[in-house]
Amino acid sequence: MKPFIEKCAEKGFLFSAILSASITILILSFMIFFSFPIFKGGDIAAFFTLGWNPYEGKFGILPMMAGTGIIASLALFIATPFGIGCSALISVFSKGSSGRFLRKVVEFMTGIPTVIYGFVAIFLLVPFIREIFEKGTGMCVLSASIMLALLILPTIVLFLSDAFNSVPRSYIDAADSLGATPAQKLVYVIIPYAWKGIISGLVLAAGRAVGDTLIALMIAGNALQIPTGLDDAARTLTSHIALIIASDYESPEFKSIFLCGLILFTFTTLIVLIMRSLGYFKILGKR
Amino acid sequence: MPPVHRRAAAVKESKIRIDGFKFYYKKRMVLKEINGELEERAITTIIGPSGVGKTTLLMVLNRLYESIPDCRVKGRVEMKLNGRYVDIHKLPITVLRKRVGMVFQVPNPLPMSIYKNVAFPLKLSNVKDKIIIEERVKEALKDAFLWDEVKDRLNDSALELSGGQQQRLCIARAMIMRPEVLLLDEPTSSLDMEAALKITRLLVDLKKKCTLVVVSHYADLTRRISDHVLTLKDGYLHTNSKMMAAPEENNMTDDIE
Repeated sequence: MKPFIEKCAEKGFLFSAILSASITILILSFMIFFSFPIFKGGDIAAFFTLGWNPYEGKFGILPMMAGTGIIASLALFIATPFGIGCSALISVFSKGSSGRFLRKVVEFMTGIPTVIYGFVAIFLLVPFIREIFEKGTGMCVLSASIMLALLILPTIVLFLSDAFNSVPRSYIDAADSLGATPAQKLVYVIIPYAWKGIISGLVLAAGRAVGDTLIALMIAGNALQIPTGLDDAARTLTSHIALIIASDYESPEFKSIFLCGLILFTFTTLIVLIMRSLGYFKILGKR
Repeated sequence: MPPVHRRAAAVKESKIRIDGFKFYYKKRMVLKEINGELEERAITTIIGPSGVGKTTLLMVLNRLYESIPDCRVKGRVEMKLNGRYVDIHKLPITVLRKRVGMVFQVPNPLPMSIYKNVAFPLKLSNVKDKIIIEERVKEALKDAFLWDEVKDRLNDSALELSGGQQQRLCIARAMIMRPEVLLLDEPTSSLDMEAALKITRLLVDLKKKCTLVVVSHYADLTRRISDHVLTLKDGYLHTNSKMMAAPEENNMTDDIE
């Protein structure tokens, strides 16, 4: 017979778990419900076109989808090697006080508000990029991706460094005693073992890159076009939602942002599924 | 006044010389004054109560202690390499560890196949010739008396082997680099009697190829095959008053079979 307090705790935890899962399902239902008028109208294909001009009745959100995909992918592409390097430095190469200090700095980075990153980018990065390309305003895909990479870097570093630290001591001892250099230890022992944690870190970082609004809003240029180069301006789904919601709430234009939300939700779900399956196959391959 | 033994054991030809070695962990002095010589191509067993620093002393010999934060050392440890004694602290650490193999108390195969585990040190040394790797893996597994048991399942995970087999795999992995010294930290303590006997027999065989330094508990089987038994107590290394001579090869083999 379980004590009363244990029973209460069990119910409490069950309630919390159900509530957390329900909120995700509720958000999805909310998005589907509000996007429903668009589906009902039968012109859903019209939304997946290039043209966005509410005055002409064009609500194509394809440029925003492309903008989101390109900026988030590029940010992840830039941040991943730096993230692996930085977490390797913290957990493998300098485990002493310098490693601990570096980790504290990275932890501090997670607390910096996004808008600060945006300010820094506007005053430092954007003019620099403008000079490099010698055209445009400097508010472009590259600026947004670099800043977004910096924003998601702490997430990657903290997750990866935890994953590296979770490698059993016996494996590390085995590699050390066989004369492995720290780099060999990282490549042959730590990364293969910590693969699942690495994938989890990258999934979270990708989710944050896709979901971030302010960086893209402030420095991506917000142009309604599919970017063809790094110096092209672009608009992401999140900044599009923010721009529309700030000025409207009744028109078809406004209704389209729920579709944007639904697509964002699908994007992040897809990222999670792809990354998880990659991790799964890697683990299967190891056997 | 603590006893200071300049020569811990009378050895024919020493492979390792330790002189005035001290080991501090944080503010505690774990090894107070270690002096001694370890004989070449012989089995030297270090015994002593739990927590006295036996494993630490073993980790000094391949400088594995350097991965322990907040520790420092004083004194000199020399190893005979190519006919002359070299301070191990002046050798590149990767070079030292390839010459001084180590086997741990709990077998620690890596989460990969049996073949890859044994070939792992060659990978670290950038040996790429597949024929050489295959030959060396076979040789090492034979050295560790494991070849017959695993030759048909080299691609199976090493983690599927029994405890005793895993320990012999770890010995094979250490032996593939043909080390001059093999350090073994209570290699039989986590094994059942049958597996422990196999390891013990293996150590007698390995003595022909390299110098063995074994850390062991008092009642362990390895004491019976040791050429020298040293006691670590209160931070000092003592020569045992009654030197344990190695039994005759035949008698010993009968004994453990």
